[in-house]
Amino acid sequence: MKYTLYAGTTAIALTAGAVSAEQLTVFGPWLGPDAENVQAVLDDFAVKSGNDVRYVGSDSFEQQIMVDAEAGSAPNVAVFPQPGLAAGMAARGFLTPLKEGTADWIRENYAAGQSWVDLGTYAGADGADNLYGFFYKVDVKSLVWYVPENFEDAGYDVPESMEDLKALTDQIVADGGTPWCIGLGSGGATGWPATDWVEDMMLRTQTPEVYDGWVSNEVKFTDERVVAAIEEFGAFARNDAYVAGGAAAVASTDFRDSPKGLFSSPPQCYLHKQASFIPAFFPEGTEVGLDADFFYFPAYAGKDLGKPVLGAGTLWAITNENQAAHDLIAYLQTPEAHEIWMARKGFLTPLKSVNPDAFGDPTLRKMNEVLLNATTFRFDGSDLMPGGVGAGSFWTGMVDYAGGKPAADVAQAIQDSWDALK
Amino acid sequence: MHPALQGLLTIIVGVGGCVGYFYFSNQLLDRVLFPARGPNAGRNINRANMIRPWLFLAPALIALGLYLAYPVVETMRLSLTERLPGGGSKFVGLDNYTQMLGEPKFWEALQNNFLWLLIVPAMSTAFGLLAAQLTDRIGWGNIAKSLIFMPMAISFVGAAVIWKLIYDTRPAGQDQIGVLNAIWLLFEGGFGSVLFLQIIPVLLLAAFGAAVAWLGYALIRPLLAGNRAGQGAAFMLLRGLAALICTALVVSALSGILKLLTVSPPYGEPQTWLTIPFYNNFFLMAVLIWIQTGFAMVILSAALRGIPEETIEAAIIDGANPFQIFFKIKVPQIMGTVVVVWTTITIVVLKVFDIVFAMTNGQWETQVLANYMYDKLFRASDWGVGSAAAMVIMLLVTPILIWNVYNARKEMK
Repeated sequence: MKYTLYAGTTAIALTAGAVSAEQLTVFGPWLGPDAENVQAVLDDFAVKSGNDVRYVGSDSFEQQIMVDAEAGSAPNVAVFPQPGLAAGMAARGFLTPLKEGTADWIRENYAAGQSWVDLGTYAGADGADNLYGFFYKVDVKSLVWYVPENFEDAGYDVPESMEDLKALTDQIVADGGTPWCIGLGSGGATGWPATDWVEDMMLRTQTPEVYDGWVSNEVKFTDERVVAAIEEFGAFARNDAYVAGGAAAVASTDFRDSPKGLFSSPPQCYLHKQASFIPAFFPEGTEVGLDADFFYFPAYAGKDLGKPVLGAGTLWAITNENQAAHDLIAYLQTPEAHEIWMARKGFLTPLKSVNPDAFGDPTLRKMNEVLLNATTFRFDGSDLMPGGVGAGSFWTGMVDYAGGKPAADVAQAIQDSWDALK
Repeated sequence: MHPALQGLLTIIVGVGGCVGYFYFSNQLLDRVLFPARGPNAGRNINRANMIRPWLFLAPALIALGLYLAYPVVETMRLSLTERLPGGGSKFVGLDNYTQMLGEPKFWEALQNNFLWLLIVPAMSTAFGLLAAQLTDRIGWGNIAKSLIFMPMAISFVGAAVIWKLIYDTRPAGQDQIGVLNAIWLLFEGGFGSVLFLQIIPVLLLAAFGAAVAWLGYALIRPLLAGNRAGQGAAFMLLRGLAALICTALVVSALSGILKLLTVSPPYGEPQTWLTIPFYNNFFLMAVLIWIQTGFAMVILSAALRGIPEETIEAAIIDGANPFQIFFKIKVPQIMGTVVVVWTTITIVVLKVFDIVFAMTNGQWETQVLANYMYDKLFRASDWGVGSAAAMVIMLLVTPILIWNVYNARKEMK
């Protein structure tokens, strides 16, 4: 009942928008195929509302949005991959609270709604808590991609535990292959894929409480438990025999090019750890589920930590208020907005009312299972940390680490930068 | 309204406004304030003429003050303050500077900037001079010149992207799309590789070392022979210092030769050029040299054309060979222009940002000051330290800028 009510108001808002067409600028982190996907969603909104909608994407979104906001030329709507960055901007008064009732709508219609509300709620410049960010498009990060055909040819099985995964890695090396493709390159955001590795390793070696403490810096970066997690990542990425192109190539390979090694013949690598969005960057015509598949990045069987899952999402916030911006947020609350991208690639949503048949490929359902089987779900830690660390020194530190610096030194540098934050 | 129309309208309003400002302000001055008639006509004309220059200067002064002087003062203020959460700021004295000086990344940036400063202007000017001289008297010289000049038309970021492709790396076994790796993989360790990668560089280094040693000897000779020319003590000190630098260069050339002879390069493995610490700085510098050579060439070519023919003719009649003509007749006459070109490129280099940002983002020990500043301002959103870095860049640029202006003015006279 409530839902129809909201749908009704949305429809009214949309028709109202059609009467007074406005220009709406949307700025986000997506480029390439993802930009086409978001464009399809925005085109639909443009047609329904009559507004002139323009999307611009950037590799350096995290810095550019700061520049634009400080300069007073912010876009109407910004799509943040990091709640931490959005929280910082809200505290400086750059974000406009979403319309009243949005929080209720999220609680009502999103799975685990309250947690999404909490992740989007920050203290504004006046110190009062408000909902600033609306989550749309969610990613599951704890996935390892592989090509089933290659596994069949070589006779490998999908590993069930981290011990198995490490054994498989050694097995592939022993068979003369290269197990992993790892790429950290991402323009101004170079280094972020490594932070996902470290976070996943934190969840697999420590309790969720330690993870939460680490994200809020109660557990320091220099803590031996954190350093150990960084070294767990290094065990994969800093071994020349384990990664395609050698360890030196890890930091400079673009994360979008990195999975392509799976599909070459003979395969350059057999495994690629990346979030659920990555099929968008697979070679043209790759059918996920057939030509490429994924398995859950397993936990240690020897450690009693259950099956932790790391996830992330993008939150849409209003950086320059106008009616069209509010209309867009309202539009994102309609199932159609989610189904358009679902029909394409690499999109998961916590919205309960979507039609699951709309998924473009059946593997997305399998991803949902990964989510459902999780005993622990944690949001991407680097995205929750303050922007200067989570979108700054943590990234650059991991690039340094991949380049050969000792983990302890890197951890110290990141902790120093956190201490220096004002 | 169509953006093109908007642009046109802006141009009309802007140009019209300028013309209108000068016309009407002069009318006001001559007709209303100090009319050139009545009992004080003479005095009024004098006064009007005293005020007129300021009338013409005022728009430029206001614009410069608003866009240049004010930001400098504001940056200075920001570098001494710290932003408080929820707005406002607090005076913290030199805290930001101490914090910056304590960061290894800052020193890395300073050191790299210094490297850039030494190499890029020198190489650009040298290549520019060479290109200007060599293309001067050949039929297709103008075509060669336009080709060399063309990179000037490319933005720094565009150039960075082009060169990133040149340095691109694909895993071994795949087709290399990077030119440098494709060439590198041609060397397989046979005689050709040894010839091109060891013997020729060793010979080049030896030649360089010998030339520097000779230069150092020439510099030090008057000192050894006792000061007969009666030059000042400061000048002698400068000679000694230059000779010391020469000695250091000779030593590094010798150690380079030794290294080249003993090293066994990783043949057959594609290299990730941009992640090799220290040397990646040079790969980045190549981009700027590539761009700036054209600029140096054009200016120096014009200067070379301006040399009086008689001096060269006289040298030829006196039996000078082409090298003597170039180094002893031509170069001394265009020395002023060389200095201006050199300092201009130096200023560009001090501000280098785009290339580093687009190619390595300061990773793998390639950080430079401008990128460090950007990092602090917009990543760590630490305006204090970012502004402090900006002040350091300004302090470094200012003396060179003043020297550049001084030299350019001397040239004009």
